Amino acid sequence: MSKVVEISPTTRHEGHSKLVLKVNDQGIIETGNWCSITPVRGVEKLAVGKTPEQVPKIASRVCGICPIAHNLAATEAMEASIKCEIPKDALMLRHILQLANRLHSIALHDILILPDLYLPGTEVKINPFTAEEPVRTVAKRIQRLREIGQTIGQIAGGDCIHPRNTRIGGMYRNVSEQAKTKMYDLAKEGLPLAKAQMDLMIAILRNYQARESVDVGGMKVALPKTLGYHNQGYLATHAFYGCSSLEECPSWDINRFKEVRPWDWYMGEMEVSLEEPRYPIGGTTKLGTKVNPQMEACTGIPMYDGQPVEVGPRARLVTYKNFDEKGTVGQNIAREMEYTDCFYEMFDCLEALNTNGKVVADYIPDGDGSLGWATNEAPRGCDAHIARVKDWKVQYFSMLVPTTWNFATCSAALQGAPWQLAEVIMRGYDPCVSCATHMIVLDEENKVVAQKLIQ
Amino acid sequence: MLYPEIVIAGCGNPLFADDGFGPAVIEEMEKLSLPDNVMIVDAGLGGPHFIFTLLDPEVTKKLVIVDIADYGAEPGSITKLRVEDLPPGAYRDAHSWDLSEPLQRIKDRVDITIVGVQPARVTAPEFEEGLSEKLQEAIPKTIRVILEIIGVDYGTTIINLQEERRQHGTAETCSSDESR
Repeated sequence: MSKVVEISPTTRHEGHSKLVLKVNDQGIIETGNWCSITPVRGVEKLAVGKTPEQVPKIASRVCGICPIAHNLAATEAMEASIKCEIPKDALMLRHILQLANRLHSIALHDILILPDLYLPGTEVKINPFTAEEPVRTVAKRIQRLREIGQTIGQIAGGDCIHPRNTRIGGMYRNVSEQAKTKMYDLAKEGLPLAKAQMDLMIAILRNYQARESVDVGGMKVALPKTLGYHNQGYLATHAFYGCSSLEECPSWDINRFKEVRPWDWYMGEMEVSLEEPRYPIGGTTKLGTKVNPQMEACTGIPMYDGQPVEVGPRARLVTYKNFDEKGTVGQNIAREMEYTDCFYEMFDCLEALNTNGKVVADYIPDGDGSLGWATNEAPRGCDAHIARVKDWKVQYFSMLVPTTWNFATCSAALQGAPWQLAEVIMRGYDPCVSCATHMIVLDEENKVVAQKLIQ
Repeated sequence: MLYPEIVIAGCGNPLFADDGFGPAVIEEMEKLSLPDNVMIVDAGLGGPHFIFTLLDPEVTKKLVIVDIADYGAEPGSITKLRVEDLPPGAYRDAHSWDLSEPLQRIKDRVDITIVGVQPARVTAPEFEEGLSEKLQEAIPKTIRVILEIIGVDYGTTIINLQEERRQHGTAETCSSDESR
């Protein structure tokens, strides 16, 4: 008989989500639902009536880790609606910014998945924060790669978290020749590090893949060879960057996209009938708890040609590089393979960048109310923004973020896996479930933890 | 190195009304001329990812975090917190790093102060832009507190700040402030 187990909240990714799993007597998932429990509402409403300059700033605040992708996609959606083509050098700066962000994101993801993986040749799972060798050297290399990514992003984008150099019509300012050289030097330093890191991660992932079983919270779990396999399609709009409706032959078609409500897709009300206190961290949800993924899921289910699709590094590699490995390990390997691509592409962009070139379009139209869209290949997949601008006021704005695409696809990929490995499959998608607020609050005993400084 | 000796990070989300206080303070501080060893960053929601886990304690000696803190005071009141004062998860849960706290890792090697301001309204999960009036008024005072922490003196003392606070309020609020 089927049992229901819930892992909530899921960990080592951005935002709040949970897994509701219907499992058989052997603990194999029959139906898996991965759903966002981070409510994000009203960005569409908030954007209406604002100027096109304001909306990308709002969009970049929706999430704590992909502000750059949202900023670029929103800016370019506005430009697509008003039909403004930006100068080539501005585009090069945007490409560099986006690649730097992706580099940081891959390095961060390494830290997030390493605790699931084993040090090859041992039965020891990797703690990326240990001071012991050889992990310490690896952790230092990851940190350096993140630093390089953030520093390049800071130079090209004006700020390393919320870029302020981007504007409608291009960029506020070009970089100096010295700044370009600095970015070049950093990329030259980063390439061998990325190569070494990629090779190491692929070796660690292959080692994991070859194992018969893995340990999860003291439980020995058989590792299926088809971990994370699904039969859904892939969607990628560019090998590195993205596309927009301004292009002659855009690689995304808004007419093939449709969004359905989660209650058509997720399971209805159930009661948790399997509890495992050994599951890290702090055990699974208590027996008897009512769960209702249909009602709790906070996102819609986007479809492309009537089916959920996978977006992200593997989708890019499948679409543009004939990559063909399925499953969670294949997905993580695809992400690692993008490490060096980031740098090679960055070199090309830096070579093409003329620091004396103009970076703002000569004419920025006010917009006639046409629908425009732009996609940005964010680290975790295609981020599509849709906008309508008339007389320099936004009339319509919508964001279709990467992890939303992946929710239903990942849910399909959970089927057939032991429930203890559901989070491993989910992390393969490098999920970024949008953030909530960041307030410091009183502790549970309602004890005042602070004293007023100024009365 | 990405981050210099002193880092001031404004945390929070401007889409949740007063939660945008940290970034608003940073925006105001950009108008100041600060020493070369100071960096101000609008961290948004990315503090744990993009700053706290990327600081090199060999280089960065001081971190000031500006954020809202609900400690049951009048909206706009300012407090200084240490990492030890923070409830578990203050800078972790939304990002589920590894369920350990990035600030705990560096607190013995970097001098960390959190400048917390009591919010009036936080609209999460609904989006709303703009700070409430009390928090808007608290920005200059917060900046002076930060400047004092990092040892930059623009000639304003805490006593003057208290005078200024009185001018803002009505007779009732002044007396309630003093009685507390």
